[in-house]
Formats: sequence, structure tokens, C-alpha cells
Amino acid sequence: MSNYLNLKQALLELKKNEEQFEAVNCKKHCVVLAGPGSGKTKTLTTAIARTLHEEVINPRAIACITYNNECAIELETRLSKFGIESNGQNFIGTVHSFALTQIIIPYARCIEGLVPKNFKVANLLECKIAIESAYRTVYNDSEDPKTQWDFANEKRNKEVDRTLPTWKGHNRELAEFVEEYELELRKKGLIDFDDMPLIAFKMIKENSWIRQALEARFPILFVDEYQDLGHVLHELVHLLCFEGKIRLFAVGDADQSIYGFTGANPELLQSLTERQDVQTIQLRFNYRSGTKIVKASSAVLNEERNYESPEGSPEGDIIFNPVIGALEEQAYYIVNNILTELAFRGVKSEQIAILYKAAWLGDKIVEALEKKKIAYHRTDRNSLIKRSSRFARFIEECAKWITGGWKYAEPSFNRLFKQALNIVYGNHCTQSEKQTLEQQLIDFLQRSRVVHETANEWLIRFEKELIVHWSSICRNNIQEWDMCLELIQKTSPEMNKDMSLELFSGKTEGTGRLTLTTFHSSKGREFDAVIIFGANKGILPDKRDIKTFKSLKEVRRLFYVAVTRPKTILHLVYQSKNHSEFLNEFYRRTQQS
Amino acid sequence: MHLKNLKISNFRNFESIDIPLKGNIVLLGENRVGKSNLIFAMRLVIDQTLSDSARQLKISDFWDGCDLFTKPKIEVHLDFTDFEADPYLTALLTDYRLADDPHTVRLSYMFRCKPEIIGLPTSSEDFEFNIYGGGVETISVNNQVRRRICLDLLDALRDAENQLGSWKNSPLRPLIENAMAAVDSTILTTISADLEAANTKIVEQPQIKSLDDSLSKQILNLSGKAHDLKPSLRFSNADPLRLFRSLGMYIDGGKRSISEASLGSANVVLMALKLEEFTWRREKNERNYSLLCIEEPEAHLHPQLQRSIFKNIFKEKDSAQALIITSHSPTLAAAVPLNSIVNLRLKNDSTKAFSLANLPISDDEKDDIERYLIATRSEILFAKGVIFVEGDAEEILVPCFAEQIGHDLDGLGITVCNVGGTNFNPYIKLAEGLGLPFVVITDWDPLDGTKPALGRARCVGIWDSRVEVNSTISLMTEKGRNFCETATFDKFSQAWAKRGIFLNDETFEVAIAKTPNLSELLLDILHEQNFGPKRTKRIEEWRENITQIDSTQLLAMIKDIGKGRLSGKLKKKITNSESIHPPMYIHNAIEYMVENV
Repeated sequence: MSNYLNLKQALLELKKNEEQFEAVNCKKHCVVLAGPGSGKTKTLTTAIARTLHEEVINPRAIACITYNNECAIELETRLSKFGIESNGQNFIGTVHSFALTQIIIPYARCIEGLVPKNFKVANLLECKIAIESAYRTVYNDSEDPKTQWDFANEKRNKEVDRTLPTWKGHNRELAEFVEEYELELRKKGLIDFDDMPLIAFKMIKENSWIRQALEARFPILFVDEYQDLGHVLHELVHLLCFEGKIRLFAVGDADQSIYGFTGANPELLQSLTERQDVQTIQLRFNYRSGTKIVKASSAVLNEERNYESPEGSPEGDIIFNPVIGALEEQAYYIVNNILTELAFRGVKSEQIAILYKAAWLGDKIVEALEKKKIAYHRTDRNSLIKRSSRFARFIEECAKWITGGWKYAEPSFNRLFKQALNIVYGNHCTQSEKQTLEQQLIDFLQRSRVVHETANEWLIRFEKELIVHWSSICRNNIQEWDMCLELIQKTSPEMNKDMSLELFSGKTEGTGRLTLTTFHSSKGREFDAVIIFGANKGILPDKRDIKTFKSLKEVRRLFYVAVTRPKTILHLVYQSKNHSEFLNEFYRRTQQS
Repeated sequence: MHLKNLKISNFRNFESIDIPLKGNIVLLGENRVGKSNLIFAMRLVIDQTLSDSARQLKISDFWDGCDLFTKPKIEVHLDFTDFEADPYLTALLTDYRLADDPHTVRLSYMFRCKPEIIGLPTSSEDFEFNIYGGGVETISVNNQVRRRICLDLLDALRDAENQLGSWKNSPLRPLIENAMAAVDSTILTTISADLEAANTKIVEQPQIKSLDDSLSKQILNLSGKAHDLKPSLRFSNADPLRLFRSLGMYIDGGKRSISEASLGSANVVLMALKLEEFTWRREKNERNYSLLCIEEPEAHLHPQLQRSIFKNIFKEKDSAQALIITSHSPTLAAAVPLNSIVNLRLKNDSTKAFSLANLPISDDEKDDIERYLIATRSEILFAKGVIFVEGDAEEILVPCFAEQIGHDLDGLGITVCNVGGTNFNPYIKLAEGLGLPFVVITDWDPLDGTKPALGRARCVGIWDSRVEVNSTISLMTEKGRNFCETATFDKFSQAWAKRGIFLNDETFEVAIAKTPNLSELLLDILHEQNFGPKRTKRIEEWRENITQIDSTQLLAMIKDIGKGRLSGKLKKKITNSESIHPPMYIHNAIEYMVENV
């Protein structure tokens, strides 16, 4: 049951901000344009809580599509404060998981020949083999299949409705390449990630009863970060909300569209706002950053945005740090000078983030930090625990339970057990399968409490005692079992990377660790102080970015995301006399005010 | 939404049944045939009050014919359809659609041997149950579903008086609690004060006061001060928050409490309250669909009352609830819609179920049958076999002929059904649909010989009707149809006699007239009519030689008497005489029937 008092309180607070209040109470299709720090998540969660309390009656529910699992977990946590628990009725997750768990798994069995029975989700290797094999069939030349596939896959994700004449009419060979590839996968009982929303689209389009079923279950669809979700979701939304009866509540910010490489396109959000039947609400305030930062940041986009700061907001600091020397010197400068200074100013480590354009830059910072033995928490692609992997996070939670969590049920065994059920059976299992799994898990965890092991030793036993068996009985369509082997490798004692289980389990956000992450992964987060590392010429933008006008626009938006993360302090670190061109206008703007 | 199909296998009386359903269900069948077991099977799937330990069945729950070595499974599959118009039901059930029919959802119960048991299972611990949806064992059914799609049972041994009398179990309780919760608290306080005033007033009466005091003293003596119960005499608890507990239902203008009602009235009240409770729970969004099972609702009810109650109950078209009723009452059976009837019959050690839900009959035919059922008190629904005849004469005489050859039709549960003409088809469909063995006694009707005898097409029509209802009967071939058009009467009637249709070579009365002994009795009756000299003379000639009997003349005379009156007279004469042998084709029909029940 929802917690009505908390909701009332939240609604009361929102009254102070006219636009947010209007958005939360909107009863038609609604698009909320929400700039950095504008209270986007708060608006979204309050809107969800309000509709669940006032409009959506059990057993109907809501669906909320987010950009990745991390956002989904964040939303779940925020919603639990309103007493809204994930009870299996509400859906909160990615568009892929929506397609898989709400459309393909329940209904594909009613449509003959659509997907192989007991299909699995292909891993990277399986995809590669299918691409190569399909390439041979369609082109049969010695060119690189991968290059051609990039074009083919772009077409695949853009031209969602294949019944249109353009699918085969335009670039026929690419269409055949895609179809051949999919056929190769199907022959082996596989679908890939991109298949999920595409298959779901086809199912809804061709079977009106599926759309009706979704309308019945989810009268309102929420979409977070609309600008990042690409064509397939856009077409799905069209089918469900504008051709169907589902009400749409979308939030997004075209300025923060930074996933062009996955098919995202800021124009899709724009097109929603131009519809007659959609109410568009622009949030005006930036509650996050100091006034200086708010004013200067839009310079990065080369456009005007006019976001306002609430009265009494601090000014904030923007500090330019030219460093003589290469990236290594810049990294040491950050560790030796900036961090010390921030500590002196009383900024807590967990409120500091070092942001960089790509993961390889992160490796340079890590080197410098480890030399000084400074604790950090890395959340980009090179991090130990992949935050977007449910399985990796399950392993981590198990470690937490063993290293003391069992005393306070943090996490609770029940939670671990539910995660295990989901990972192994995708939540579809019989009573006895459930009991067996519960037995295995508690046995393993209890034993782990008494044997003292390093992380690596424990992971090897985890692999041997649970994973080997689980992977053989697994019925889940998405399997990430390799994640455990990867972790074993990453903690290899031969490479001197092993650690205590306590340390391993605490590798997530803890106290006293500063955050290392890429611009991309920093989206949606905020810190008191942000240090931008490597704002050099040739990196920001790099050669690839300047190839097209579109990609140049996107890298500007990426930098915009980075500079809008701090609340009060923004440090920019770059090579002296070799700074990024983006800094010019930015610098000029800071001098004006 | 409505129930569409029910499948049960290997459970108690049922080896395997698979019956279509349409909304409400009326289960008919003799005692011990398994009506309650059928309801219990459905409860295994959806009754939320049934505990897990009750769902863990026993080995003895397997159908007796099961060979445990073959690891049989008990399965119950309940299919619903027409749920898509209701978004709440759709949201609830959409995961359980059937792969080959997405507009139907299936909820299932299965009880089977655990996979790790090798060899013969010996106790119920070797078995496990599973409740799942969509026909796929790994799709488990959400608890919500069992809470929101409910089955309530009023069993045959329900104690209506007790249920209504005790506050805890009363179906009235949630209704009153709900209504009282909405009453303004200041009003409650006023009422409470009034009540307290009345309490004080009565206790102040010296006679009452002295009784109160002496009782209190007595109790105190027994229990001691530490455990003083502080008893007092009063009308009712006057605490505003407990006021509703004193509210009850009274009958006869408030003179008597409901617990003093007659057994019959209490039953009516109980059913009404249950239905009201369903509506209320739906409004409260606790439930989305209710199945109410009532065993023998006719208990303690006068036939007229039965008819009016069940007419009303079945008239209500509420797509969010359905009734499942078991009954022995012909009155009730006649009042319910034909397509709600499910007939259970014991055949070769297992109970078979026959449903009239999808009986292929036209609306006119349905009206005919429903009228017939009312007129005959739905005798056919409870029979074990039926002899279909064309008219009153046969209806009167066939039982009497049977007695002559030593069979008591009533005792055997065989009923004679007079279809009042020659349109047997709707009745044939009904009997076939009910799984009833039957024979047809009919006339060859050669007419004047210029056209084919009417009996030819009639027999083919009857066969086609059977095929329409029962898919296990094979369609008549072209060759067979040709035979029916061309065969001589002898060949034709012999062939059909093997298939349960028995023909005379002209009409019933002529056949009687041409049967020795019977012929005499008939001519006696004709003689007694004091016809004119011409007819009298003709009757005398016929007496000499029955082969001389002229059908046209004979029928003209019978017409003057009236077929019904004639058969009445004939029946009297047959009963009074010794060993009268019926016409051969009727004899064969009766023997055939008796053999097949």
C-alpha cells in the first residue's frame, strides 16, 4: 500500500514549483522537459506515486521504462519511500526488459514460429559468429563483416516497422544482411538484445489483443530519459500510447542526449512535444548547481538556455587548472593539489567525483590514486562490479551478507533468494525447484560465513558450488554466468589483485571513497565537487567526434552533462596551451558574470 | 468473464472428463456419482481458503483404475474466457493465456509423483502439487489471482441457522461493519447514550436490580476478588465502537431473530447474503470475480419457492460472478437455462460428464425442450435411459408392454418421452448431449406409396443429429445414405434396429391390430363403440382374419374414438389379461433399451 502521508508531503513541497506541480497532476499525455538539476527524478517519482494512489487501481499497475538497470534500481529505492514496493505488478526497468518480461515471455508462446521455444539471449561471441555467417551468405567477399554490420544494425534499430516499403526498398542488401543474421540466431535458438524491443513491436503491431492486454495491465506508461532511448522505444510508445489507449508520461532533456551510438536521437523527444495531444511542461529551475555554473554551462552547448536558480542559491566556483605536461602530470596534479585543496576546504571524499571522457583516462587516474593509497570507487566500464549487471550485483550482495550483513538482514536472505530465483529461473519455477534453490543458497552462504577466504577463493568456490549447477538448470533467457569468471580473473592473486572479502563486498559506494567515472556514466548523478580530467585538445572533441556535424553536437552535449554535475565546485583540468576548444566560450561566459 | 471448460483426470470418480461450460453450472447426477468431488477439484485450483495441506492429496484420491507404476497425475484445468472486456481481469490473468488460444486463460492444479521417486510411490509424501497457469507448469499463479478470483462453497451440510446466528461466521458481519464504518461518529455517540439510558432504566427496576445483584454476588463468590468478572445485566453493549455488534437481522416484522427462522428461510437468507457479500467485495476492490458453489440449494425449500429463487438467480447476468449448483431437484433443473446443465453419469467404473453448454440446437428447438422439461418435471434429466415415442398412445402403452415382458421401466430408471409428433431431432440431441442411452420407436409412414416412406428420411435425420452432438459417432457414408433411400422395409428396419431405431411397417395402431391377441382386444374395443352396421360387419370380418384389416378403415374408426382414449382402454384390457405379447418391434425396442442402461 502506498504511503499517503509521504505522498501528501511531497505534493505539498512541489506546490512551490508551478511546473513540477502541474506535471505531477497532469491527466493527459505529458512530456516534461527537465534540464540538469531540475528535480526530474523527484517529479517522476511523485507522479508515479500520485497516479498509483489516485488513478491506477489494483490489480492494474504502471510501467516505467528507464535507460538502464541502474536508473531502475534508483527509482525503485525512491519509490519505496512512498511505500510503493516492487510487488511484481508494477514494472520498472529497461526497454529491453520490458519487451522481454512483459511482452515476449508471456505472449510469444501464443504466436507460432515467432521465436524459438526456450530461446536464450545470445552472448557477444554468438552474435559475432552469426554476423560472420550472415555476411558470407549475403555478400560473400573478403571485406570486414563488422564494418558492414554497423551500418546494417543502424538500419535495423532505426527502421522499426519492416512492413514499410522502405525496409527492402532502400538499401536492400543491408535489410537482407539483418534478416539473414536474425535467421542465423534463430537457428541456434537465440535472440539478441536489440531483437527484444523489435520482436515486441512486431507482436503488438500484428496482434491487437496484446496491445489490449498491455493497456489493461498498464494504463499509464512512464518513460525516464526519453532522449536516450532511441527509435524502437519511440515507435513502441507511438503504438501503445497514440494508437492505443495507454497514457504517456515522459521526462527527458534533449540537451543531455549522449547515446547516439546506440541509436538515440534528441529529435524524437522534440517530435513528442510538437503533438497536439501532448502537454509539454518545461521545468525552469536548476536546484543543483551554483549560479555561476548554471549560467556558464549552457555556453558549452553554444546555445542559450536561461535556467533559473532558486533564490538564495550559492554562487559556486569554477576553477581552470592548466597543467604543464601530459595526462600523467594532470592526474598527479589532481591527486596532489586539487584533492588536498578540496580536503582543506572541508569537502568530503564521497562528495567528490573525477570525471573523464573515456574509461582509458580513468586508468591514468587510478594509477595516481593507488600510488597515494587514496580510496576510490570506480563506476565506469572498467569497474570491478558491473553496475548494470544484475548477476554481478547479486554476487556482491552475497558477499555483503557473508561479511556481516546476515546479522542485520542487510541485505535480507529473502532478497538474495528472490534475486537468485530471478537469475536462475526468471521467476518462473515450481514449488520444489524453489525449495531446492533456497536450500543450496543458504547452505553455501552459511558455509561461507565460517570458512575464511579471500575474495578470489570465495569466488572460485561460488563458481564451483553454485554456478556450475545453476547454469545447467537455468531457464532465464538472459544469462550472465561469465560474470563470475570475469570477477575471478579480476581478483587474480597472480596479478596481485586479490583482496579480502570485506573489501570486495564494500567496493560499492561507501564512505570516504571518491568517485571515478566517465562523462556518460555520470549522468543523473550529483556531487559537491567535480573535477573534469583531460579537457585537452584532441580528446574533447577527438578525431571521431569532428567527423560529422551531428557527432560534434553530441560531444558538446556530453561535456554539458559533465559540467552540470557539481553543486558548488567545478575544477577543469587540462594541458596548458593545449586545452579543448569547448573551454573558450565557457571561460568567456564565466568572466562575464 | 465466464468459465469455458473444465478438464479433470485421474481424480476420485473421474478417469477423464473434458466438458465445455457456459457461465453458470448446474450439476445433476445421482448420489455418489461425484458432484461434490467435481466441485472439490475446482477448489483445488482456485479456492483461497483451501490450505496447502488440503491440496496435498492422498494416494487414495487417485482414480481407482490408476496404475501407480505408470506415475499417473491428477490434473484439473479450469479455462476462462471473455475476460478481455474487463481491464482488471485482463491485468490479473493475461499471463495465463493458452498458447493455441490467446483469448482463453487456463488455471491448473497438478498432483504428481516427485521426479526423484524411482519405483512405486508408497505414500502421499512421494507426491507434490503445483498450481500453474497458461498450461505451462513453470508459470506459477500469482497469489493475487487466487485472492481476487474466488470460489465460495455452501456445502450440503451447511448449518444456515448457525452461520447466521454466530457473529463471527455470519456473512452479515462484513456488510454491517462496512456500513457502520460510514456512520458519523457523533451520531453513534448519541445512539450509544440512548442505549445506555435504556440499559440503566431496566436495571433500575427493583426486580431486575435484585437479580443482577444476587448474580454478581454468586459469581464473585466463585471466582474471588482477583478474578472478578464484573457482570451486569443489560440489553446490549453500548460502546459506540462496538455498537454494530448488537445489530442483527430480524424476520417477521422484527418479531423473531433470524436464528429462529425456519430452515428453509434461513437458507434463502444465507444465499442472498452471500451474493450481496460478493457485490460488496467487488466494490471494495478485494475481488474481481466470484464463483459461488451451492450444494443442493433446494434443501428445505418448497418447489414453488425453488422455482422463483432459481429463476431470479439465473436471470441475473453478472459477468463478474457465476453459480455452480449441485442438485437432485427436478423443479430446479426445469427452471435453469438448458446450457448450464452438466450431467454426471457412472459408466464402467468412472464418472463421465456431459455438458449441454454447446448443444447444437436452434432457439426454437431450445424453447421446445425447455417447455417439455417443465411439463415433465425434467424427468429426462434424471433418467438412465429414454424411449422416444411419437405420441400419447405409445406413451401410455409402452410401459404397459414392458411390464408384460417382465421389465419395470420406472424401476430401471427408463423414461418414455413423447415428442408429440415426428420431430425427434432436438430431443435426440438432448439425450446424446446428456450421454443418455436411448431408443426411438417410430412409424414407417408409407403414405399412399407414391412418395418415399417418411420413416426413411426420419431415421437419417436422427442419425445426423446424433453425429452433430457426439463426435465419436461416425457420419453416415454416401453408401449408407443410398441404402436408406432404396432398401426394402425389412432390410431397412433390421439395419436400424441395430442402431436403436425401431419401426413398424405402417403405423402404431395398425401394428397393434396386426398383432395376435392384441388385435382381439383392439377389435373388442371397436366393437364396444356400437358403430353402424357397416362398420360392425367389417369388424366381424376382421375378427375372422386379421390379415384382412384395412388400415384406412381402421384408422378412421380409431379417429372417431380418439387415440388417447383408445390407448387408455387398451391399457386396462392388457393389464387385466394374461400374457399379451406386444408388437415385435416394440418388444425389440424395450429389450434393446433394457440391455443398454
